[in-house]
Amino acid sequence: MHGKFDGLGRFADPSLLLLTSLADGPKHGYAIMTDIAAFSGVQMEPGTLYGALARLERRGWVRPLGTAGRRRPYEITAAGQEILAEQVTTMQRIVRVARLRTATAWGA
Amino acid sequence: MEPGLAGRLSRVLAGWHPRRWRDRYGEELLDVLDQHQASARTVASLAASVLSTHADPAYRADRLSPARLRGAVLVSAAVAGPIVLVLGLLLGMAARLDRPHLSGAGGVNGVAFAHGQRLLVSAVGGPGEDNMDTLWDITDPARPRQLSAFWGGNPTALSPDGRVVATVAPGFQPALWNVANPRRPARAAVMQTGDGTAMWGEAFSPGGRILAAAYTDRIFLWDVASTARPRLLRTLAVSVPQVDNGPSASPYGIAFSPDGRILASVTGTGHVSVWNVTDPARAARVATLTGPRDFIQSIAFSPRGNLLAGVTYHGHVLVFSLAGPARPALTATISGILADARYPDGRLHHPDAPPCPLCSPASYAVAFTPDGRTLTVVVDRQEADVIPTYSNVSRDTVFTWNVTSSGALSGRTIAVSDVKDIQPTLAPDGRTVASGSPNSNAVYLWMPR
Repeated sequence: MHGKFDGLGRFADPSLLLLTSLADGPKHGYAIMTDIAAFSGVQMEPGTLYGALARLERRGWVRPLGTAGRRRPYEITAAGQEILAEQVTTMQRIVRVARLRTATAWGA
Repeated sequence: MEPGLAGRLSRVLAGWHPRRWRDRYGEELLDVLDQHQASARTVASLAASVLSTHADPAYRADRLSPARLRGAVLVSAAVAGPIVLVLGLLLGMAARLDRPHLSGAGGVNGVAFAHGQRLLVSAVGGPGEDNMDTLWDITDPARPRQLSAFWGGNPTALSPDGRVVATVAPGFQPALWNVANPRRPARAAVMQTGDGTAMWGEAFSPGGRILAAAYTDRIFLWDVASTARPRLLRTLAVSVPQVDNGPSASPYGIAFSPDGRILASVTGTGHVSVWNVTDPARAARVATLTGPRDFIQSIAFSPRGNLLAGVTYHGHVLVFSLAGPARPALTATISGILADARYPDGRLHHPDAPPCPLCSPASYAVAFTPDGRTLTVVVDRQEADVIPTYSNVSRDTVFTWNVTSSGALSGRTIAVSDVKDIQPTLAPDGRTVASGSPNSNAVYLWMPR
């Protein structure tokens, strides 16, 4: 299965977490890290965060807003929302199949 | 890896990114590093980032010097290699080596204790803002350990068992954070209160099951036994007039009695409402305590729950007997303590103090000691400037009185300390003062002598 996340390699997971974090509104770097930790338990480190941010920005899935001091908030773009929705749909499909198959296995 | 060393290494590595990358992300990254507790993982992630950005065609024009390239490879190999094998061990060591994180903008605007005074949560920023909260292990107060930090809102209460932090989310909605694992706080719920009026206080019942959140016109009682699904039990109608520097500045105007049957809340000029919350779904006002015509800023129950102490904006200390909650009696009034609570420069009245007659000339904290025999009141007077953030120093004057079982006060003592804080908080021992810095996330714990 090929998708738009192909080519992001090991950055696929951070990218998904980052888009999810920005889905409810713009956030700056540290707020993104703490939000991701809060909703997923993943402690994303600054190097990983900015690697993913740079790639997402280059693809036009997030865009920077004006700086507030040294902080620069980012927001998700329409294209970013679209790709996030696609990913969520795929994940839901996987979860459905996994649930079905594990239920079958237990019932066997 | 020692956090200080990890922080320094991280900053060095941030400077090794390609120039074009640094121009674009450098300042933001440094801002994040200022707030982030650096560890070996941070160093490893930045070393990997240095290498991958230099390999990236978009930044390739700006080549890494051979010396730095070797350095980044060495750091990656030295840090990222062993980390895979001994990550758990390193994190454990880093946790033990954690030190208070003293950077941070804004200033501490809320402090709460729990767990037999072993856990403390503090917040940087103003009420209703996107505050950074910090959880501290203060089992050994001389060596506080930072457990975690999260953007939760101003914390106004910590459940007695230390597993839940109640905060004020943006828009003044109460939020619950699950901190059962204090290293991984997770937001459990945001409760909807319908409008954006200012919340000025939250309190957990002693069993931790009920959360009371006080607004200017209502008090909400939630069943928070399930933090993910809080259930609204009752809304109590109140009226708390807002004045400048008024109740919104004090989260200490609401308290449950130690047996959890009574809730007391500041509800107007000189008034404290007493609610029977034995059955929270049918909570009802049973009495109104009346003191001098002056806002009561801070209240506290005695350990037996038979007394309620309060301190007003202009320094009247009041004790009410609640032996029969429906027939309360004022048992002690001490006036004029502000005459002994001077500004840091020794002046009694300051020309730059708030001119508004309704405003509080000081911040207060009040608490009984666990044996119920001593009442402590902390009076915090800011330096000349009325905006605490710009104040270099403030003076905390700590008064204590002996308390009889009937609520009479005698034998005053005074201790003074020039500290730097906005709003003092008294720990559950009724003696230790927590002073939050006005311009960093530092919290100073000190004991009056």
